[in-house]
Amino acid sequence: MFLSKIKIRQSLSLKVLLTSLAFSIIIAAVIGISVHNRVATTIINEKIAISKVETANALYLAQGHFNIARFQDDSGLNKVVQDFITSSREDGSLSGRETVILPFAKSGNEQSIYQTVPTLLVLDSIPKSFREQVREADEVLDKRVTIRYSDGKKFPGFLIGGKLNIPRTGVYEIYYLFKLDAQYQSISVITWTLFVAGLLLVLLIGLSTQFVIKQVVSPVQQAAAVAEKFTQGDLTSRMSVSSEDELASLGNSFNEMAVSIQQQIVRLENLSMLQQRFVSDVSHELRTPLTTLRMAAEVIYEQKGNFDTNIARSSELLINQIDRFELLLSDLLEVSRFDAEAAALGVVNFDISNLVKKTVDYLHPSKSALFEVSIPDEPIEIEGDPRRIERILRNLISNAVDHGEGKKVQIQIKTSENEVAIGVRDYGLGFNEEDAPYLFDRFWRADPSRARTSGGTGLGLSIALEDAKLHQGQLLAWGKPHQGAHFVLTLPKLHGNSVQSFPIALEPDDLISTANKI
Amino acid sequence: MVVDDDQDLAEMLSIVLTGAGMEVDLVNRGDQVMDLFNTHTPDLILLDVMLPGIDGIEVCKLIREKSMVPIVMLTAKGDTQDVVLGLEAGADDYMVKPFKPQELVARINTRLRRVAKVGTLGICDLVIDQMEHKVIKNGKEIALTRLEFDLLAALAKEPGRVFTREALLSEVWGYQHAADTRLVNVHVQRLRSKIESDADNPEYVLTVRGVGYKAGAAKV
Repeated sequence: MFLSKIKIRQSLSLKVLLTSLAFSIIIAAVIGISVHNRVATTIINEKIAISKVETANALYLAQGHFNIARFQDDSGLNKVVQDFITSSREDGSLSGRETVILPFAKSGNEQSIYQTVPTLLVLDSIPKSFREQVREADEVLDKRVTIRYSDGKKFPGFLIGGKLNIPRTGVYEIYYLFKLDAQYQSISVITWTLFVAGLLLVLLIGLSTQFVIKQVVSPVQQAAAVAEKFTQGDLTSRMSVSSEDELASLGNSFNEMAVSIQQQIVRLENLSMLQQRFVSDVSHELRTPLTTLRMAAEVIYEQKGNFDTNIARSSELLINQIDRFELLLSDLLEVSRFDAEAAALGVVNFDISNLVKKTVDYLHPSKSALFEVSIPDEPIEIEGDPRRIERILRNLISNAVDHGEGKKVQIQIKTSENEVAIGVRDYGLGFNEEDAPYLFDRFWRADPSRARTSGGTGLGLSIALEDAKLHQGQLLAWGKPHQGAHFVLTLPKLHGNSVQSFPIALEPDDLISTANKI
Repeated sequence: MVVDDDQDLAEMLSIVLTGAGMEVDLVNRGDQVMDLFNTHTPDLILLDVMLPGIDGIEVCKLIREKSMVPIVMLTAKGDTQDVVLGLEAGADDYMVKPFKPQELVARINTRLRRVAKVGTLGICDLVIDQMEHKVIKNGKEIALTRLEFDLLAALAKEPGRVFTREALLSEVWGYQHAADTRLVNVHVQRLRSKIESDADNPEYVLTVRGVGYKAGAAKV
């Protein structure tokens, strides 16, 4: 029940079909029943009216005969009466009519000689009240009754009752009982005919509705299907339009919309491609002059012993800035590669704990006293791109050193069944909660007025995040002002999996003790 | 010989290289390389990839048809197909701009270095004559570039040792830090195509899956 309700709600065509069927059934039923009633009443009333008139005439005629026959002798009179009775009965055998002749109740013995009752008829079929009415009335009366027989048969029918005055014997009541089974039979034929006709009508209406629905709904369904395809990225899908009606105009507008969306998307794609190309080209074009610049600077730098101090220092600064420029350029190029989704992973199997050790050693040999590294003894084999993971680590560790204000930097590795996590914790400046969403933004700096200590490019964390995403890993940051920051890189051990659990909690567990100290 | 369309860079290169005690010929167009090459045969060519006339890769192929002279490509795009194309066309090494002059000079010196190696090495029936700088197979001499020769000699010198790509990079190319291992792959392919009877089933230079390369069974 509930299920079918859902189906109806979901299908427009089913809804329309059911509605139209319900209406047509109601209309067919109302019309059928009223026609049937009208016809049935008419048939029966007509029969009663005709029978009544005929009976009245017959009785009038019979009364006339009797009145004339009163001048004959007894046997003559008797014969006239008997003839009448016989003819009434014969009529009855033809038209399904029973004749009952009863003497007035108050009359004497002799009066019963003409009493006639069909053998099986139950006399109660003629209600007492009707007999009273007949006795008192001057005309023929009629009444609908059920005609019952002593063998149990029953027929619907009606009574017509009148009075006959038979000379020398007194007044008789005469009743004709008409059976209506023939009429009811024809009525039932009419009923069936009407029923079948109604059924056919409903069926026809159903079929034609279905046909109309198909014409109207199928373009709608097609539109839905095309829209679905469109959503899934097939920008070339269109509706087929073959006619010129309202539905065709729906199709045409739909297609126009699709064309305009497609154009817009293609335009935007081109724009963004152009922009990425531009960044990439600029980066490459800058390389040749930068090479010349670098070589010139190196030549000057090598001669700095021959210059006075200012020029010598200038050449140093020149070299440093060229280094930074170069770094910036390569970071920029990397970012443009991410934007173009052209960055590729070189996935191999390697020991990440060894990589972490190597990175720490290689990065800051002079500051090794600063680091507290806790790494499990056994190697941790994972699938990934060591070049990119090393770059993430370099970024995180340099970041920690730069912002650590000379305090210690903790680096730890923990694993779970399917993940490996690397946490880099510093106890330096930290950052405000409201800065957290911007940490990984390009060129974002926590405090623009703060002096740069590192010459970082401002792209490091952004690239680190992109690298982590390429591995389907997570790079999260926690920080509090003056309590330091904690960056946690969580990577799936197997390439292609995603991170399900976090072996290192983002919020550092040493927080409480740190908070107490402050 | 320095081939670069950027006049200033070319001049700067010549200043640095002259400072390092080398003689430099400058060429600005790709289609002028062969003219100069025929008159002034250089010891080494520094070749920019993007050149007017014909591009660096075509130039590289043209030179290789004639000579085994060492070629170092200069490229602005270290990550693209350019590098592989250049190496496959016959370049021995490449430098990604911007590079440090010391690095360039060191790399050039590695390529020009003719270390006095004595003796004859062999892999199977391959005879590697280090004095004469010749490789002889079935009595026929096979023409190899100096780099290809060095690569083969490095492998043959320690038969049975598996060289990682990084080890070969430092041994043959003189890289100190792990660099692009494509260099090794491409040159091993080129070497195989010259010395192996069937490059798909090598018998002299064998691949050790996941590690690197080693020489086939030695026969002295």
